[in-house]
Amino acid sequence: MKAVTDPAKLLLARMLRLLRWRVWIQERLQPTEWQVTLLWAGFVGWLGALSSLMFSALAEGVHHVLSGSSAGVVESMRQLPWWAVLALPAVGGGLAGLVLLLGKHLTRGQSSTDYMEAILIGSGNVPVRASLVKSAAALFSIGSGGSIGREGPMVQLAAVMASLIGRWRQFTPPQLRLLVACGASAGIASAYNAPIAGSFFVAEIILGTIAMETLGPLAVSAVVAALTVRVMTSEQHLYKVPEFTLHSPLEMPAYILLGLIVGTLAPWFLRSLRRAENLFIATRLPLIARLMLGGLIVGALAIKIPEVAGNGYSVVVNILNGHVLWSTLLVIVVCKWLATASSFGSGAPGGVFTPSLFMGASVGFVFGTAVNAIWPGAAADPRAFALVGMGAFLSAVSHAPVMAVIMLFEMTLSYDIILPLMIASVVAYYTAKGIEGRSLYSDALRKKAAETPGATDFAIGRVAELMKPKPPTLPRQAHFAEIARLFLAMRVNNLYVTDAEDRFLGAVSLHDIKPYLGEPELAELVIASDILREDFPVVGPDATLSDALGRFLNFEGERLPVVDSGGKLLGSLSKGDLLLALVEARKKPGAA
Amino acid sequence: MPPAVPNVSSDLNTPAELIATPDIVALDLEATSGEDAIRALHQRLRAATPDVKDAGRFLEDLLARAAISSVCIAEDIALPHARTMAVERIVLAVARTAVPVAFDAEHPGVRLIFLIGTPKDAVAEYLRMVAALSRLLKSPGTRAALLAAPTEAQFRAVLARAVKR
Repeated sequence: MKAVTDPAKLLLARMLRLLRWRVWIQERLQPTEWQVTLLWAGFVGWLGALSSLMFSALAEGVHHVLSGSSAGVVESMRQLPWWAVLALPAVGGGLAGLVLLLGKHLTRGQSSTDYMEAILIGSGNVPVRASLVKSAAALFSIGSGGSIGREGPMVQLAAVMASLIGRWRQFTPPQLRLLVACGASAGIASAYNAPIAGSFFVAEIILGTIAMETLGPLAVSAVVAALTVRVMTSEQHLYKVPEFTLHSPLEMPAYILLGLIVGTLAPWFLRSLRRAENLFIATRLPLIARLMLGGLIVGALAIKIPEVAGNGYSVVVNILNGHVLWSTLLVIVVCKWLATASSFGSGAPGGVFTPSLFMGASVGFVFGTAVNAIWPGAAADPRAFALVGMGAFLSAVSHAPVMAVIMLFEMTLSYDIILPLMIASVVAYYTAKGIEGRSLYSDALRKKAAETPGATDFAIGRVAELMKPKPPTLPRQAHFAEIARLFLAMRVNNLYVTDAEDRFLGAVSLHDIKPYLGEPELAELVIASDILREDFPVVGPDATLSDALGRFLNFEGERLPVVDSGGKLLGSLSKGDLLLALVEARKKPGAA
Repeated sequence: MPPAVPNVSSDLNTPAELIATPDIVALDLEATSGEDAIRALHQRLRAATPDVKDAGRFLEDLLARAAISSVCIAEDIALPHARTMAVERIVLAVARTAVPVAFDAEHPGVRLIFLIGTPKDAVAEYLRMVAALSRLLKSPGTRAALLAAPTEAQFRAVLARAVKR
């Protein structure tokens, strides 16, 4: 047999062999667009965990530099002289303000879009510089002992990473929004070491759906993030609590009553935060001065009650382990409420998620102690009420009872508490919703939507807004070698064939040529027009999403070419994007 | 001129069956160029089968395809072909030229011509047909036997044997 020595033929044979391998692997693994999305979600989860760990380390570093102590925030406040306690949060507030002010020059022209807006009402673009500036400012407000949570900036940073990855890979808006949502899920999962709650936080609060199209990637991202944190730190679960049991069914009425109380208090907590914000704005002080004033109030309170400083984590741990007296706690709750309102109201960047957990734990513990004093059988262990109070308060402020129940379970890994936790969280949710329609997060979104007229009109309703432009194309005279090369380079199953004016002529299917990849003689004869499928279904740029879905019903492929009325190929529409957009549209009535 | 052979392939389904029993076999086809050969064989084919519905269109499509890119798979074998609206099923006409015919600069001595017409929507069948022909004609023995077959019946017998192998 004569050996083939022509370099072109050798190259062709090599390419066909590679393409055969690609098809072989593809057929066995069948990586659909959904599966590829899951891989990206995992990568985003890993990046999100790294950014969260980095933020935590930096916040601790800032705290160490400002206070000279490597202990926790509350412990540092106990050790410092009174004047330092008074000054520390104020200095931190001033520095945060300075960073925000200097950052304004860097972020000129960038919106202040946060991850929730990017997912819900934006295109999925989370501005990088604005987010970094906000996170840097948050390092100072958190590191100086401000009564504010660190989960906000952690989630924001994870979402920025996701947005950057999505933009680099040129994801379509629905995919990009989903990836940013995965980033947020990773942020929560790594901040609280709670992967299920991380997924449900985003699904329930931001996306408003637990459809598998979105929940799957969110879960993958959250699991990878939590695993990364567990591997890189010694954290197993956030709150170490003793075993809790439901001592008697007689306790249930008390838990229901706790749900009612917490559900009533939570909206007032949120209102007080908004009221504080308005009061600070009414002072007409410049931003730096406002932040310093907020810090000064926290510092003044911390002189007598150091527990008001920080996000409240260490106090919650003490409450759950029964190391705080109810009478002391009553004072701490009132002061902590004031401190959180001051920090939040002054505009300190950070979150109020962990302070909400503190409020719930305190209210629950005080209530449990009171019931125990009156009728011990109805509240055998007040610490269990603290735990249930946390979940119920979180459920009431976030309007996300499923997430709240799961998060509490994950943070404590105490299963016995589930029954009272579920009932109290649901009661608190309905009570809070009856009093106030707005949640902790709907406020921020409403404000942003009002600031950006037309932002909510972004909801995708037409194929043109969803398509990916510039799909890979072939001329009709393209030889088999060129077809094989393009199939190898692009992870597609159909290549579109166009004429010189970009008019769509049809598609060449990998499925058609697959059996003949081992026949170089054929490869020399066959050109694109020989195997062109002219009857390949197309969709118009002005078609509605439901029209496009109709096209996909009779088509097995993952992508459809988008062709205008003149026959010109404009782009391609992915089935995955379409389903994502339809899931989103269900959330926004009238959008599709 | 070889005797007309009745159309036996109108109810054939697979490319292999069609190769074993082509619509027409023309031995010692007279032609001076590739285009001339295509025209002559097309003429014979349209007379042999009613499944070429639009002979003019079919010829246009065959010549247009040949103009885009070479239709030869070896120095002495050409496979002029077209996916066209003009045929109702895959049609195949086979010819052996009396003298070598120049199809293009790289293929100046074509002796065996397999002219194929495929309905527009039959991409898979078209590929099966050309792949089967390529495989079959790769064998030097088959090529030699086809070039040497003295009669149409023996030529057909060579094809049928080759397909069976």
